[in-house]
Amino acid sequence: MKILVCISCVPDTTSKIAIDPSTSQISSQGLTYIVGPYDDYALSRAIELKESNGAEVIVLHVGGSESEALIRKCLALGADSAVRIDGNPISSTQIADAIVDYVKQNPVDLILMGKESIDYNSGIVHGLVAGALGYVHFNPVMHLDLAGNDLQLEVEIDGGKMEVSCALPAVLGCQEPIAEWKIPSMRGIMTARTKEISVLPLNPTDSVKLVKASIAETARRNKMIDAADAETLIDLLKTETNVL
Amino acid sequence: MKNVAIIAQTKEGQLNEATNQLLSFVSKFNPEKIILVVLGENHLSSVGCSVPVDVISLSDGLWADTSAVSSLANAVKGYTVFGIKSIQIDNILSLLASCLKAEVVSGVQHLGYSAGVFSIGKSIFSGKAMLEISSSTASIFSLNRNFDFSDVSELPAKAVNSTSVLTYSSESKSAITALKPITGTIPLPDAALVVSAGRGLKDPSNWTIVEDLANALGAATACSKPVSDLNWRPHHEHVGQTGVKVSPNLYIACGISGAIQHLAGVNGSRIIVVINNDPEAPFFKHADYGIVGDVNDILPRLTKKLQSH
Repeated sequence: MKILVCISCVPDTTSKIAIDPSTSQISSQGLTYIVGPYDDYALSRAIELKESNGAEVIVLHVGGSESEALIRKCLALGADSAVRIDGNPISSTQIADAIVDYVKQNPVDLILMGKESIDYNSGIVHGLVAGALGYVHFNPVMHLDLAGNDLQLEVEIDGGKMEVSCALPAVLGCQEPIAEWKIPSMRGIMTARTKEISVLPLNPTDSVKLVKASIAETARRNKMIDAADAETLIDLLKTETNVL
Repeated sequence: MKNVAIIAQTKEGQLNEATNQLLSFVSKFNPEKIILVVLGENHLSSVGCSVPVDVISLSDGLWADTSAVSSLANAVKGYTVFGIKSIQIDNILSLLASCLKAEVVSGVQHLGYSAGVFSIGKSIFSGKAMLEISSSTASIFSLNRNFDFSDVSELPAKAVNSTSVLTYSSESKSAITALKPITGTIPLPDAALVVSAGRGLKDPSNWTIVEDLANALGAATACSKPVSDLNWRPHHEHVGQTGVKVSPNLYIACGISGAIQHLAGVNGSRIIVVINNDPEAPFFKHADYGIVGDVNDILPRLTKKLQSH
């Protein structure tokens, strides 16, 4: 059984975002990058499945060479090999196309990724990949168990949850509590050094044009109310805003 | 935009407010035809729109793979497709996009169209930044729940032109084995008012004061990540970067310090109220109204004030 885990490499959740005036895009200066937190859940579950059921885990990232340290960390966590599709994709479509091209050449049984990347928040790459490959698609998956060739899933739906059984192959967008994040062991870090990261070229398809990015600042009133007069909050919400 | 399809959201068989606004919004672009795709049972006889709509109802089923979605893809081929973000709608839009080999843009905050080119504002970094995109090829759009509908006005209702049903059929062996709807509370992602609480509440048994205030307001309840990690509250109430992202008219944060990961889930809120006994809590910088005080004292007083009206 082969599991492909697709990861995004994104600014740390505490990052302060700034614009690079020369490109009018988000500046990568001074940002610390991490494996997308949802992708990290997906990878953790894949490694658990490898340990419990036996599987080969391949990590795939579409992006530049600056991500190799993070890919290496995924190998240290227990992934067997990694693929980096080298380039700078600008849309979900380009990323999905790259994943689909890879899987058509290198078939896998199960594709896992986070429900969304926390930078561009699109949350559609898994659906695009599933649709193009004709695989079953569920998102966001909160529990994943393997029973032979079938998957038992718990999936969040609008207004609740559902339990689903489905057959492989499948593409799943993952979220907590599908697994606990893992920390690489010293042995994992050592063995990861010799694991392979193959690099393939990105053939970007025509896509949208990025014009410019800007920081969205919501102006807040910053009005403090004395605790002794806390009740006036209700009056202020009625008179100064129309939310009540 | 000659032909437009809208994936509708309904409430008790009728279009919800956001879908009505979306119909008015697309009417501005003078489409010749509008298809309204409705999930599940509905009783639509007329809708407010510039042209009479054709309704396609999707029967109940797991619209979760290409074989299931292909009949819908055929029906909306060549159409510009819009939906308002929900779990199911984003999943359907992305499958549709791959079936139609169309480009999809999600997280759309504002959208313009002129001479065949879309100018799109996409919310990124959980609302911390905005990306301006232009495209002459994208044809499927998932709009954020707080999409800017400010300059649309409701249109007079027109009788529905035609109604048809697409029956769910799929080659896959997927099956629902259990459904667990959340009952008895206001669904958090749709809530106009939210009362949220964090570790400052000290103990899950103290949540009654949060629930009382929420009930008095008609608000949904939410919580911070540490609280759901401690299992004080269910996971689906967790608001933040890795939880639910909300954009209500009013968000009242009680005993939440305001870590940047929590702010990422709430900064789409129109009015934010912060109640915390720590005057240094970073959340106060992002508040419209702040009260430094003990939640055990403040919340019951707010509830009482609301009940006295």
